[in-house]
Amino acid sequence: MEKKSGMKKIGVMIAVTVLIALFVVGYRNGALHAQTREVLVGAVFPLSGPLAPIGQHLRCGADIAIEEINQAGGIKSLGGARLKVIYGDSTGDAKVGVTEMEKLITKDKVSVVTGAYQSGVTLPMTTVSERYGVPFYATGSEDQITERGYKFTFRSNEKTSWRVRDQVKFIMDMGRRFNDPVKTAALVYENTAWGQGAHRDWLKNLGEAGIKIVIDESYPNATTDLTPVVVKLKAANPDGIFYCSYVSDAILLIKTIAEMEVNAKAIVGLSGGTADPNFIPGVGKSCLYTFDCVRWEPDIPRHGAKALCEKYQKRCGVIMDTEVMKQYTYMYVIVEAIDQAGSTDPKKIRDALEKIHIKAPDPAIKFVEDELYFDHTGQVFKGSMVGVQFREIDGQIQRVTIWPKQVARKGIDPVWPMPKWSERKK
Amino acid sequence: MRFLGRGMDWVTRPQNYLGLGLVALLFLFPAFIKSMFYIQVMILVIFFAYLTSCWNILSGYAGQLSIGNAVFVMIGAYTSTLLFANLGLTPWIGMFIGGALAVFVGILVGYPTFRLRGAYFAIATIAVAEGLRKIVENTERIGKLNIGGAEGLTIPLLHHAPFQYQFVNKVYYYYIILILMFVGLYVTYRIDRSKIGYYLTAIREDEDAAQALGIDGRKYKLLAISLCAFFTALAGSFYAQLMLYIEPSGVGGLSLSIEMLLLGVIGGRGTILGPVIGAFCLVPVREMARTYIGTTYLGAHLVIYGSIMAIVILFLPHGIEEPIKKVYFGLAKRLGPAG
Amino acid sequence: MMNGSHRKVAPKEKRFHGGEKMETYIQAIVNGFLMGSMYGLIAFGLTLVFGIMRVINFAHASLLMMAMFLAYGLCQVGMNPYLSLIIVVPVFFGLGYVLQRTLIERALKMEAGVREPMSVLLLTAGLLVLFENLVLLGVGPDYRTAKTIYTGATFKVSGIIIKTAWFYGFLATMISYFLLSSFLKWTWLGQAIRAAGQDRDAARLMGIDHYHIYGVAFGIGMALVGLSGTILVPFYYIHPAVGWVFGIGSFIIVILGGLGSTAGAFWGGVIIGLIESLGAQFMNATWTIVVVYGVFLAILFIRPAGLFGLKFEW
Repeated sequence: MEKKSGMKKIGVMIAVTVLIALFVVGYRNGALHAQTREVLVGAVFPLSGPLAPIGQHLRCGADIAIEEINQAGGIKSLGGARLKVIYGDSTGDAKVGVTEMEKLITKDKVSVVTGAYQSGVTLPMTTVSERYGVPFYATGSEDQITERGYKFTFRSNEKTSWRVRDQVKFIMDMGRRFNDPVKTAALVYENTAWGQGAHRDWLKNLGEAGIKIVIDESYPNATTDLTPVVVKLKAANPDGIFYCSYVSDAILLIKTIAEMEVNAKAIVGLSGGTADPNFIPGVGKSCLYTFDCVRWEPDIPRHGAKALCEKYQKRCGVIMDTEVMKQYTYMYVIVEAIDQAGSTDPKKIRDALEKIHIKAPDPAIKFVEDELYFDHTGQVFKGSMVGVQFREIDGQIQRVTIWPKQVARKGIDPVWPMPKWSERKK
Repeated sequence: MRFLGRGMDWVTRPQNYLGLGLVALLFLFPAFIKSMFYIQVMILVIFFAYLTSCWNILSGYAGQLSIGNAVFVMIGAYTSTLLFANLGLTPWIGMFIGGALAVFVGILVGYPTFRLRGAYFAIATIAVAEGLRKIVENTERIGKLNIGGAEGLTIPLLHHAPFQYQFVNKVYYYYIILILMFVGLYVTYRIDRSKIGYYLTAIREDEDAAQALGIDGRKYKLLAISLCAFFTALAGSFYAQLMLYIEPSGVGGLSLSIEMLLLGVIGGRGTILGPVIGAFCLVPVREMARTYIGTTYLGAHLVIYGSIMAIVILFLPHGIEEPIKKVYFGLAKRLGPAG
Repeated sequence: MMNGSHRKVAPKEKRFHGGEKMETYIQAIVNGFLMGSMYGLIAFGLTLVFGIMRVINFAHASLLMMAMFLAYGLCQVGMNPYLSLIIVVPVFFGLGYVLQRTLIERALKMEAGVREPMSVLLLTAGLLVLFENLVLLGVGPDYRTAKTIYTGATFKVSGIIIKTAWFYGFLATMISYFLLSSFLKWTWLGQAIRAAGQDRDAARLMGIDHYHIYGVAFGIGMALVGLSGTILVPFYYIHPAVGWVFGIGSFIIVILGGLGSTAGAFWGGVIIGLIESLGAQFMNATWTIVVVYGVFLAILFIRPAGLFGLKFEW
């Protein structure tokens, strides 16, 4: 009996000591955190899967931005706190993107999230950020991303509707300039949110331009064979082929068009896969004389752009493309917002983003517009596109900016219409 | 008093209080673990345990191996979501309508396919599930109704709305799926210990002999697929309300069906707790692998799943439920008498 | 946004004009036939294995993927893809034999008395997941393209464009079909395989070690997979998940054509190829697979033995 109560006493003492120790440690940890000189930002990209190349490049570009920011002194209003990005892999899959975002918010406790390149992945992610009250600096061009009345979604990516509007204008301008307009159009697009949105906008914009749509084909994202679709294209003989694909599909489509010798006045992409650095190596000469419509090209003269492109190419191994440039600028905008908020509190950062107004010259200003601010839906006020043609220059296949006139590369005249396949050397 | 005495007797048996302890642990889990992340992981574990238990009714007890169960998940998810988004009908009711629709599809599919055996049936289930999924994927809208196509559907965000089956705090979802799992287990238990269970076993082992004894194989198999479909559809609605986003490959995809197959076979087909054991052992592996190894070692968790599956088939064809049961009862014996 | 009455929507013009129609259909039929024959080749191995051992190899798709990677690797070091067959085919024969004798045989023995060995089905399902993800772990998920001299090459026959690599694939299919048929009919080993398939006990009485024969049969099946993978390399993306594209289709073809019948596999493949290619001219290409599933289920309910299959106890 004696022994048992003695044992009990010791047991109680040990338990109490442990509890006190835990309490102290916990308290100290909390205090330490407040002094932590690190601001956590989450970034979800397709780091694996069919879109892995662009995901890895986005990551590389983002890393450059983070390094520059930290080297320049970090977040000034937080005493020089460093910016740290925790990456999540969407694998190109919407539901994985959603779970990754949940993890970043609930486990890693990031203050802001950015991502996820694909509209189809970004769209459901906005619900997660809205639910938890964490600002989401979204990419992806699907209009709905900023049209659902959410308070925590911000986007300086151009909307699909803007892209299509400018793309159609681009093609119409070219047709007028060379007196050989596009009268019939074929639409080929991948069937997730991005493609479906582009489809709606094409119907609207092409309709307003009086262009007849002769083919309207969606195909499954990450498809493996587009031959039946291309045979259909050939039969319909459209003046213009408007397509919207991620990189593997874009490569497949253009290659099959070349194989099946589908002629057209213009074949034009909508950023995405066509703007991907892997597109040209993957498709080779088949892409020559086709077009693309993007937000950024190295031809747009901006302070610091050239040096940045060289740095990027050296470090990441490929030419800088529009998506990476966008992601680079997003990091700067995020940091600007955190700086203005003076806090890591997600809600304060959100309010800062709402009010932000950045003007050139600023590392975040790299596009056609001279300034950056968001409207009441969280969408950037403007996003103008440029038109590009793939040409062979000095033995290299390059993207040459040809529209609008202000940013067109000097010395290269656009070729319109696209030469027939039989006339090209194979 | 005597009843109480009997009850106390039952509780003091180690094999019972151990079990009760585990159940209590499950119910008290959110009290100890506050991190939303880990609660989400447990929600997924229990979700798969429930889903696989439903699968087990058809593929385990009725012996008709299905690799297309995800189609019922999809029906449940889409039905409750469409009814909510378009008619404002709360998913609490919508999920039962989804369940009914799933039963209807299950019977429609089961009727002609049940005379196929083994691999034929399995491949037929794949064709049905993939076919329906493709139809949903290809269809953006039916008339004015927005189906979403490959883009999927987002459930309108209401933040905290208990009557609309939406919560911000994940703990609510945890308890919902936990209760659902026990409901599923109870249904499995009743099947296992009842006449239906014996009939299904007879049909499974040798349908012709059972037929000769007057057991209508088709009728009981249709019953099995109905139960399976109904409860699986409920899980679909749950998932929709948890993630607030559904798309055809996520809720109706082949990988989901295969996951149920893997967990069910590894756990132990045709047993009550097999699927639960399979899920509780393997799903955490998947989640942890994805979180910590993630992008560096893509596919690691599936390599583990696949190898365990192969090993189990070769050496433990009745699943890991058997050896785990032995361990459990062995432990119970060592804890005390009346084991 | 979606109440479209006032929005200008581009009118959709009628699709085809006049004589181009015929040429398009012929092009589609040719494409479908060529691609379909390759589908058939992919299914040869599967149907052979089932015919002999009553085993559905669920891992078939992942093994095809592995063959593609092997051939791809050889191409990257400069080998002509069709020459690489010299390496790929024997390697896969060996792989098949080993797989059968170590793993599958064990599962077969476990359910020796049962009509439909479910264990093998489940084992191969596990292997499917394992193989696909082992490769994923090893090489990563990126899509790869082999740069061969046949990539993108085409030739014309009276206005119809024929992809060179597809044509060679078709040739490979025809050659292997005749080789296989001859082997099974005229050689001792071939006849032994057929004997073991028909009645394994009787075969045993005749002195045939049926497990060894099974190994050979499985090896041949895998060799065919090796061949199929190689011919796909010049024009297909190579990545760990590529097996899924053909996997489900292979099972459908095999059942459509009749389990155990190589002629059935060939024609089943052609039917699928034609539905995909010709069907796409009349509907959105994404719906053709639904038609394939529909046709498959219809055949399964009406004539489960398939086109050429024997009505046996399944």
